[in-house]
Amino acid sequence: MSVPIGAYLLLSLALLVLGLIGVMRRRNPLMLLLSVELMLNAGNIALIGFSRQWDDTSGQVFALVVMVVAAAEVVIGLGLVVAIFRSRTDLDVDDLSSMRG
Amino acid sequence: MGEKITFAVAAIGTLGFGTGVVFFRDAFRAAVSLIGALLSVALLFIALLAPFAAAVQVIVYAGAIVVMFLFVIAYLGGHREITTFDRLDRWQVIGWLGVMGLGALGAVAVLDSTAGPGWAAPAATGTGSPAAIGDAFLSGHLLAFEVTSLVLLVAAVGAVILAKGAVQREGGR
Repeated sequence: MSVPIGAYLLLSLALLVLGLIGVMRRRNPLMLLLSVELMLNAGNIALIGFSRQWDDTSGQVFALVVMVVAAAEVVIGLGLVVAIFRSRTDLDVDDLSSMRG
Repeated sequence: MGEKITFAVAAIGTLGFGTGVVFFRDAFRAAVSLIGALLSVALLFIALLAPFAAAVQVIVYAGAIVVMFLFVIAYLGGHREITTFDRLDRWQVIGWLGVMGLGALGAVAVLDSTAGPGWAAPAATGTGSPAAIGDAFLSGHLLAFEVTSLVLLVAAVGAVILAKGAVQREGGR
């Protein structure tokens, strides 16, 4: 392997810190979920990097399980966001002015 | 050489699009930026000889999860600023210190460990093939496999219940 595993781990670390910064500075719950996705991907890079390093399939199995957990987390997270914020939309016909003519 | 080029392209893509996810104000742009970051991560998986994980990454992440994000952004209106109250408040400084500390700790750990011997990867023996992964799932990690299906079922049922409650509150059935 021409690229050492440390390069992948440093990239994974950078992506994790980037996701952490996103979680810290975002207020919008949708954007929080996007940043959490970045952090999960950083974990997956490290897992698959270790899988390559030790020539073992287990790391890839872990990464696939992480993807499943991410999918479930997004389903519940987006369900909560929709359930909370849908009832707050102002239904006012005067606001529907995009079809003026 | 080929792996170096692939890694460089994927690393720049991952960090560049990741920065977009974190710093774009528009929710729609951030979600599209996430697609780029996820595809770059799939490229990294290919460089690490894990083609099956890369395919799942593209299909499940970039294909399904981001599309769901885009649906919700389109449904709620991406331009309307949806904010919760700031849950950290005056603890924010401690949070930022924690972020920096974790980053520094990780950097020290990685740089320290790569200095040690034994970090040359062995020759690939086809651990990333779908057959090898299926074998690992159904022999060594059978419990994880079954728990996975349970997690997905619970998530699906939970989402339906959440959506049903929201519809009923608006006066629908």
